[in-house]
Amino acid sequence: MARVHEITIWTRGVVKDKEGRDVANALTLAADKEGKFTQAFDNYVDLPDRVNVPLRKYARISDEEIEMRYDYENEKPEIVVVVDQAIVKGVNLLRGMERDGVLVVNTDRSPETILKFVPNSALLKTLVCVDADGISGKATVDFSGTEGGIDTAGLGAGIAAPLLGAVAKVTDLVKLENLAGIVKDVEGLRRGYEQAVVVSLNGGAKKEAA
Amino acid sequence: MFTIPKEREVPFAGITPAPVNEQPMMITGNWRTYRPVINHEECNLCMNCVVFCPDACWQLNEAGDEVVWNWKYCKGCLICVNECTHGALTKEHELDFEDGVVRLEKLF
Amino acid sequence: MAKDVTLSGCAASAQAVKMAKVEVICSYPIRPYTAAMMELAKMVANGELDAEFVHGEGEHAQLSVCYGASAAGARTFTGSSGVGVTYAFETYSPISGARLPVQMMIADRTLDPPGDFGSEHTDAMSCRDQGWLMGWAETPQEAFDNHLINYRIGEDPRVMLPQFVCQDGYFVSHIPGKVKLPDQAQVDEFLPPYRPPHPLDPKRPVSHGPQIRPDQGVIMDMQRAEAFLEVPKVVREVVDDYNRIFGRNYQPFVEEFQTGDAEIVFFLQGAHTLTARHAVRHLRAKGLKIGLVKLRFVRPFPTQEVAEALSKFKAVGVVETSTSYGGAMRGGNLLHEVRAALYDVPARPLTTSFMAGMGGEVIRLEEFYWMAEVLAKAVKDRKVGKTVYWVGFEAAA
Repeated sequence: MARVHEITIWTRGVVKDKEGRDVANALTLAADKEGKFTQAFDNYVDLPDRVNVPLRKYARISDEEIEMRYDYENEKPEIVVVVDQAIVKGVNLLRGMERDGVLVVNTDRSPETILKFVPNSALLKTLVCVDADGISGKATVDFSGTEGGIDTAGLGAGIAAPLLGAVAKVTDLVKLENLAGIVKDVEGLRRGYEQAVVVSLNGGAKKEAA
Repeated sequence: MFTIPKEREVPFAGITPAPVNEQPMMITGNWRTYRPVINHEECNLCMNCVVFCPDACWQLNEAGDEVVWNWKYCKGCLICVNECTHGALTKEHELDFEDGVVRLEKLF
Repeated sequence: MAKDVTLSGCAASAQAVKMAKVEVICSYPIRPYTAAMMELAKMVANGELDAEFVHGEGEHAQLSVCYGASAAGARTFTGSSGVGVTYAFETYSPISGARLPVQMMIADRTLDPPGDFGSEHTDAMSCRDQGWLMGWAETPQEAFDNHLINYRIGEDPRVMLPQFVCQDGYFVSHIPGKVKLPDQAQVDEFLPPYRPPHPLDPKRPVSHGPQIRPDQGVIMDMQRAEAFLEVPKVVREVVDDYNRIFGRNYQPFVEEFQTGDAEIVFFLQGAHTLTARHAVRHLRAKGLKIGLVKLRFVRPFPTQEVAEALSKFKAVGVVETSTSYGGAMRGGNLLHEVRAALYDVPARPLTTSFMAGMGGEVIRLEEFYWMAEVLAKAVKDRKVGKTVYWVGFEAAA
């Protein structure tokens, strides 16, 4: 079975739940366009969401059919996306990450500040800081897509868009152009891509912006 | 019949100790994005924060001269900041402070 | 226009129910099946579905409302999970005895205590004696198809029985998968309108559910026993028709996967079949002669088909995702039925059971490999070590 690339998104219940789901769903829809095999789902035990509780959303991308579809968590995330920066203090973000991972954080603070709060940052090769709140200015709230429902509000109208741009900057798993066809706020997506600050750590090489 | 490894044990019938003052199995400090910060000089001990906090995170200390904040359970709802009668409470972003790290392994 | 979409099991069930043109829906929220009602409520609100949407005050109310509506001649739909299913328990036998084809979606959830959302089949399985049809879906596609198939079987004049259409909570109900949605015209061709023989109608008054004596009670029981003997024939006809109209390939009762020259098989139902298929492929690649047999209907239990299918093998591992505390085998319930089906087979296979996926746990590929080792060893030793293995908690095989 081909490697399954796992992306874990940490977000806040109710107020940023939709944004977290948008990141996971947009990543998998973009990978679908390239003919990859994907899954996007919420962490079941973090839900039902309460305001501000830390929650996880998952995306998985693979070149072949994903065999362990029926699973609760991403055991070995390669990329971790944080939709609300205060979460870096509250949970073991990088649990399960093997090595040379990527951390993408929605923050207006310096990469040094963020790294201060991540104790096992030796697992990371790349840290990306993007001020999604500043670029987009809104966190949409919509419950149509929760708990197995069908999302009727459209993807990427809020802070998810610049976050997705930041993710596209540092990975080959999705293409920026495919994401642009999916999100509502294409301007926010591109600004996130351009303004994301990419820091290479632990001897990793910085990926050039395409 | 089977062996249950130690790390997976569950108490008999799922019965757990009830919290008296605090519930260490349900730390929720990591729900905060902002925290309330008190300026003791301005505080007149009106006790609004103690009364209004939904999680009882403000308590009068033993000596009875200061209110003390519980960082383990404060969820950052900022009701106390809203209800403070003397402007002694302000909200500050959690990442401005190096203390108060919760860092749970599993969320519950 | 037929189209390919990605839907969770709950959303797929809602789509199927909409296309079946259901007339009365009674809802009550319980995780994880709730999203199906959420979707149906949206459809009724925006005019996509012309149905009465009733908020029950509890699961017992849900079933009672559907009982009345179905008796009056409406096609009904309701659903629940976990302890919601057991809360409505009183209503199951009356609905079945009244021969009303109410359909209930069950998205499994472990029964309390204390409060586990994970999928375990015990909630629905504990109702298996109530006289309803019951079967599991492996994927959101199969959940969609099962709803339509069950309406047609249940409403057939030779059957007239209610149906539990089950899917694993979270695994199938929440994780999206690919679903082929058919045209409405195809569904209309497959599913005729519901016409009960004796509806509640002021123009032709009837009484439902009068008081009777024990000597009449036995006849009532025999009526239903007889109906269940008719069901398998109808199931075969309906599944054939479904395959023809919608281009699917379902077997009515049991499906075999890579069993050609298999010596050992897994016997299971529900979501974990999907993972088991991959495990079987990998084990075959290593030279093990293994297959799997999937059960689509547990009520009526396809005794004949199971006996024929399983008697070909040397050892059968029943993967149980439900419990029967104190039962004859001290494990789950499927093993009892499998052994009963195999009892009269002259050269019957070794059978054992694996408690796996209990409480909603994931069953990993490695755990299927472990189960296969146990079965292979049983074949070598010509006997099973134990009849119940709690997978993941046994000392090395």
